[in-house]
Amino acid sequence: MVSLLRNQKVRNALLQVLYVGSLAALVLAGIVIARRNLAEQGITSGFDFLYKSTGWDVNFSLLPATANDPYWWFFLIGIINTLFLGSVGLVLATLVGTIVGLARTSSNELAQLLGRTYVDIFRNIPLILQVFFWYAIITHLPTPRAAHEALGMFLTSRGLYVPFPNVGGIAFAAAILAVIAAIALPIWIGRTSRLSQPFGERLGIQLAAAATALTTAAVILALGRLPDLPLLDFPALQGLNLKGGLRIPPEFSALAIAIAIYGGSYIAEIVRGGFKAVGKGQMEAALSLGLSPWRVFTLVRLPLALRAMLPILANQYVWLMKATTMGIAVGFTDFFMIVALTINHSGQTLEAIGILMAGFLAINLSLAAVFNRINKAIALKGNQLRG
Amino acid sequence: MEMVVVAPPAPGRLENLKRRFFATPLQALLSLISLAIMAFIVWKLLDWAVFSAVFTTSGGPEACQAAAGACWSVIAARWRIILFGLYPFEEQWRSALACVAVVVMTALSCIPAFWTGRRIALVWGAGTTLYYLLMKGGVLGLLYVGEEAWGGLALTLFIFITTCLIGFPLAICLALLRRSELPWISRTTGIVIDGVRSLPLISILFTFAIVLPFALPQWLVGDKLYRVIFGSALFFSAYQAEIVRGGMQGVPAGQEEAAMALGMSYWQRIGRILLPQAMRNALPATINQFVISFKETSLVVIVGFFEILASGNAAYGTGEWRFAYVEVYAFIAFIYFVFVFSLSRYGAFLERRMAVGER
Amino acid sequence: MTANSTKPHRPAVRLENLDKYYGTFHALRKVNLSVERGERIVVCGPSGSGKSTMIRCINRLEQHNGGKITVLGTELNDDVANIEGIRREVGMVFQHFNLFPHMTVMENCMIAPMIVRKRPRAEAEATARQYLQKVRIPEQAMKFPGQLSGGQQQRVAIARALCMRPQVMLFDEPTSALDPEMISEVLDVMVTLASEGMTMICVTHEMGFARRVADRVIFMDGGEIVEEAPPEEFFTASRNERTRQFLSQVLGH
Repeated sequence: MVSLLRNQKVRNALLQVLYVGSLAALVLAGIVIARRNLAEQGITSGFDFLYKSTGWDVNFSLLPATANDPYWWFFLIGIINTLFLGSVGLVLATLVGTIVGLARTSSNELAQLLGRTYVDIFRNIPLILQVFFWYAIITHLPTPRAAHEALGMFLTSRGLYVPFPNVGGIAFAAAILAVIAAIALPIWIGRTSRLSQPFGERLGIQLAAAATALTTAAVILALGRLPDLPLLDFPALQGLNLKGGLRIPPEFSALAIAIAIYGGSYIAEIVRGGFKAVGKGQMEAALSLGLSPWRVFTLVRLPLALRAMLPILANQYVWLMKATTMGIAVGFTDFFMIVALTINHSGQTLEAIGILMAGFLAINLSLAAVFNRINKAIALKGNQLRG
Repeated sequence: MEMVVVAPPAPGRLENLKRRFFATPLQALLSLISLAIMAFIVWKLLDWAVFSAVFTTSGGPEACQAAAGACWSVIAARWRIILFGLYPFEEQWRSALACVAVVVMTALSCIPAFWTGRRIALVWGAGTTLYYLLMKGGVLGLLYVGEEAWGGLALTLFIFITTCLIGFPLAICLALLRRSELPWISRTTGIVIDGVRSLPLISILFTFAIVLPFALPQWLVGDKLYRVIFGSALFFSAYQAEIVRGGMQGVPAGQEEAAMALGMSYWQRIGRILLPQAMRNALPATINQFVISFKETSLVVIVGFFEILASGNAAYGTGEWRFAYVEVYAFIAFIYFVFVFSLSRYGAFLERRMAVGER
Repeated sequence: MTANSTKPHRPAVRLENLDKYYGTFHALRKVNLSVERGERIVVCGPSGSGKSTMIRCINRLEQHNGGKITVLGTELNDDVANIEGIRREVGMVFQHFNLFPHMTVMENCMIAPMIVRKRPRAEAEATARQYLQKVRIPEQAMKFPGQLSGGQQQRVAIARALCMRPQVMLFDEPTSALDPEMISEVLDVMVTLASEGMTMICVTHEMGFARRVADRVIFMDGGEIVEEAPPEEFFTASRNERTRQFLSQVLGH
């Protein structure tokens, strides 16, 4: 027996069985105990609750939602809210990060200093503190009666009111797709066309594509317009409150602003790192070919830097997506808050936690898949970047 | 051959300025814009925070609210609740001393002389024990103060150091398990690590604080504070494990072979040969992880702890200081900034020093 | 586990029908070799011929897939105690030195005797000094490996292995990673060691060394021992065509 325990192969097999076995036992024991405890409270386990109506409401939703809707619908709303806040945050953070990162890499020392100060300050203050700060700022804005007004928009403690087109939901979504196409098409044309093509000709095609897409958007909006209403619905004061238009609630704005500012400081560093990774040799080679500084930037420096940035940027995006869970701190009904509310109201603890894990796994995996594809598509063949 | 070096005439100060900031029209424009932004922000900030600000509590909240600038009186009036939470007033010197102990402990860990497994364990063990005894009392004639009364900065620091204290050894274990030659052990550990990493910290804290009591036998439930600390340590260790594993991959395979050839056992090879080198490789990333997890400590406010953010909310949220939220948040941000900035600067310094050492 | 200790004849190292695969690649094919105590063996052969694999099997840096390895009367099998026991008695010197970079030369030499053999610090230190003296670098004891030249590092590596007072020494191409001017200082140490009666198995291409100290020279190719002969016979009258071809390449044109 003793000599058997000294046998390396026996030992290895035993260790593996023990390790995996005890982990599995731990998880199983937890589930069994939890089921018993929940059963004592009169909660039957299973996913039937998904079809019951919730009896509570959400404060933010892109889809119609009432307290009569079932749980599965609320989970869907939560996921969409998370993705929506996440994407808005990502776009804004990328915008901020690019500007600050470019300032940090610019040859101008004053711009560098400005960029560095920004990064040093906002990177070193926890995101949730920044969320609290912006939420406090927004909720301390004047009431609707005393609101700041500009261009038909109202900035109030109850949120930002903006004019909104009076169109059907599907038409609105289609119009947004067309606007996205108006931005994406020229970029795509720029990427695929040959360098030999005259610059002016290419610009013409790009402008034409953008104009077509924008016109399409306008036509969709005009066609999808709701009957007997003006095209744009302006918010206006009625009694103590503002009516009409679109209200962007303070919870959403606070989170979006904080994620943009905090995430921007991280993305700025990634942008800077990306530009730093481009070898001096490549730029000198390009300059010595007689390319103008602008073309050196767009043809050599930017593409190489983007390739260096992308893997790190992907991680950062995943992180920012997860940061939307801070919504619960100010009461924004993101996916996690829906799960927390479900546990509170229905007591379906294990099921809700399972859905939470599956949801984030799905979000992470799909983001990773998208970035892997992009990465593969633009990766340099071989390893010229090294050495 | 003799080289004759002719120094260019030393440029005048004005000349120098011109070359640095106004070399081309574009540069000049950039400089002017940057300068304008900077001047605007600095002036606004100084005006708000210093020139038009109120510093004393003498006028009370009313005089303060009337002032155009910052109302620092709220800090003067409420700093104790922000730093120490609801800790008994007469005993708050203990809370302060405990915070100092943590700071000293952190500073000591930054000195290379303490970078051996035994010494760093000693420093952290002693520091944490000292903190715990000071805060909890019940010995040496100190009044007993239970964890439920801890709060503010002191609680934030406690959660941070205990997270590291539990998370760090756990991270090393996870890293060793993941690089095990035994396929089932490494695969299972991989699933655990990647699973934890794919979840947001808040969901883990929430699970440990609110859901876990259902899944544990009564005698194991324990205090909510320690459950949350364990959850946060688990999260920390999943990230730190990957950093440690990266450090281990940087140690050449020949090192372990040489140790094997000398007859060392598995634990001797790990403890004497692999880990010391791996930890050195992983040091900059480790410090970065500490910085991140210090910032993330603030998330425990969501599961209902009275740490520095919650105590800050309480400091302005009740009664006459309701308007002074910006000042309170600025104060808390400043405290975080001091800790996080100095730690991350230290990390950057180490990274540069190590890069030079490798050459 | 010492059942075969009753046999009258106990060679230091004995390989019987040794087989080793890397995946589907057959690295060692039925290798048989017996090394007596005090014998000096030089193993040579083209790269990929399995010579390093063979000596790495002897202290189980590689696990063999078939056949039997007996070291100092103990069979090398899955028994952990046997593996550790054999490693204690078999020293090894690597091509790339593999000194521990985070320890001084002295600590490199002291650590194994202290934690594996459980010797007191003072004794380990005395042993370390003695062997550093022997490899002629006592003055470098307090330096770190990174501060030494390649030749010095390899001599420290030899001293480190000797500090365990092994009964068998394995050398895995100890001079291949060295600059030419440093090869002789390492070989000199190895010659001294040989003259003191150490059992040595050396994988090396230094044919001068083989001629001077080897009792037998072994030529391997394709995972097999192709030829095995005393040096004078090996270098002057090798029977095998592949050996002659290899020798003509190594000894110069």
